[in-house]
Amino acid sequence: MSNGQEFGEKERERKVRRTVFYLIFSALALILGGFLIWKLSGLILPIIVGCLLAFVFRPVKDRFRIRWLPHGLRVLCSFAAIGVVVFFAFNTLRKHIPDEEQKLEFKVRLKYKLNERYRQLVAKSPEGKSNAVTPLIEKEVGPLMDKVNQSLELNSQERDLFLKYAAGYNGKPSIQSKFVDYFWTNQKTREYVIPEKLSAGVESAAAPVAAAPAQPPAAEDGTNLESKISAWILAPLIFLFLGFDNGQIRRFFISLVPNRYFELSLTVLDELDDAIGRYLRGTLLECFLVGLTLTLGLMLLGIPLGIAVAIGVVSGLLNAIPFLGTVIALVIGVGYALIAENVTPLIPGLNPNDLALYVLILVVIVHVLDDVVFQPFVLGSAANVHPLVVVIAIISGSLIMGLWGMLFAIPTVVVVKTAIATFFKELKDYRII
Amino acid sequence: MSAQKFAADKLLWETLGRWKRSSPELNRIQFLKTVPFFDRLSNRQLKSVSAIMFERTYDTDETIFEKGQPGAALFLILDGKVAIEIFSETSTTRLAVLETGAFFGELALLDETPRSADARALERTRTLALYRNDLNEFVHRHPRAACQIYRSLAGMVGDRLRLTNELVQRKTPVDTAGLG
Repeated sequence: MSNGQEFGEKERERKVRRTVFYLIFSALALILGGFLIWKLSGLILPIIVGCLLAFVFRPVKDRFRIRWLPHGLRVLCSFAAIGVVVFFAFNTLRKHIPDEEQKLEFKVRLKYKLNERYRQLVAKSPEGKSNAVTPLIEKEVGPLMDKVNQSLELNSQERDLFLKYAAGYNGKPSIQSKFVDYFWTNQKTREYVIPEKLSAGVESAAAPVAAAPAQPPAAEDGTNLESKISAWILAPLIFLFLGFDNGQIRRFFISLVPNRYFELSLTVLDELDDAIGRYLRGTLLECFLVGLTLTLGLMLLGIPLGIAVAIGVVSGLLNAIPFLGTVIALVIGVGYALIAENVTPLIPGLNPNDLALYVLILVVIVHVLDDVVFQPFVLGSAANVHPLVVVIAIISGSLIMGLWGMLFAIPTVVVVKTAIATFFKELKDYRII
Repeated sequence: MSAQKFAADKLLWETLGRWKRSSPELNRIQFLKTVPFFDRLSNRQLKSVSAIMFERTYDTDETIFEKGQPGAALFLILDGKVAIEIFSETSTTRLAVLETGAFFGELALLDETPRSADARALERTRTLALYRNDLNEFVHRHPRAACQIYRSLAGMVGDRLRLTNELVQRKTPVDTAGLG
């Protein structure tokens, strides 16, 4: 056998060995990856959020250029700025997210306000005459009101807790007596009347519960919260460490790619980075604009700044979920407008009693603005996904990961769609397929 | 200071100096200095350029790129030999054989124009690849260094255009040896 043939034979053997090695290594990596995903499922979401944040905010770091400042300090400064903004937004939000007591009060208060409005609607004139529409409203809206009242009814556990909070519990001040009276009155009659018209006797009924001893929150909840918090610490850490990365991760993955696909992989990665980055940053900007518009609108309607910001942040974030985001914004906004008291709109001529109607109009205006102005200008055609795919993706996302799944459903669909399209285009351009 | 201690210190510093001089990064910078593309850059700028380059090793007869593929990177030969060839149905025309220090595929730094020829390693070859979009990013971070690189590139393209014009004017058989 000549030297050339021997060399060729050795090269062939080496290729076979290499293929076998790659196959075994890939299979092991897949098994290990699957096992880790299964075992560390609680960490997946914080990791995804950390990576997404680092990816979305990378241009901030890249554009923050001071020649004499070392890379590490530049990264720290830009991320500190982002951190401060995010912290203030979420701190404002956290303050206005209702806790256990506020949720119970919200239910009673909403029931009170809804029934108050309903009674105003079907009220007879002082002479005892009602107009022609009143019976019709009573006939049509009455059953609906019954259902709403039933759904807002507190169960026995919630009732006990509400009464404890009503008298001041767990270091919290007592609940406004108007709502406690309303609760007690309707607890007995279930006619959902406003308590001012009732005897003062019912007030004393709350007294026995007032002395209820304060109970510490369940220990189990604390442990759960602790483990959740410790998992979520990963998100800012990943965000920070990916920020420090100066292309090393990309270089590592490119180094694993066979020579034949070297230029292809660089091009694909770059195009994906560009397309997905444009979509995600566009979506974030769109959500920010929606949140900001809604906040400003709510402030003009006289809603306090903190609450307006909280509703704006939640609605802005949920705007990433097509269709549902607007509905949730509407429910939150109108829900608050229904229970709000002593609101004075900044726009002259608006009647504070019709606040819910104005909020409804505002949410519709913001939705139209989003469709007509924000989306076309910010996103362009980056998110051309068929509506049926959108619906299926949202439902699938909610089944897999709940609210987070719904939030990430469309970005995931867009990322996968872009990745497949880019990959196939480049494979053809490079004459590999 | 005793003579013994002085000798020990000297040995230590010499060893450290040798170690530093032979680090892969420094070797790369020394190599880049010899490439006409980067000869106007300072050591500091070369260090930044070196950081965005990919080192790739090709086996004998392995294809680096094929004619018609979109160009994405410039290749510098660290060591080894690369043949630039054009394959047709009936024959193979070898345009050039490039060796250590040479570069090819430089037009890929300007746009995605398809490669005009095949590049194939004639022996085990180590190359440094500079990706177009990395250079575009580099412009923002090190505008002066990037400007020098583009000036060199413009000079090279200009030289080749002049050469092509002369060849066309003379209407002599085209000898393209040496073109990447």
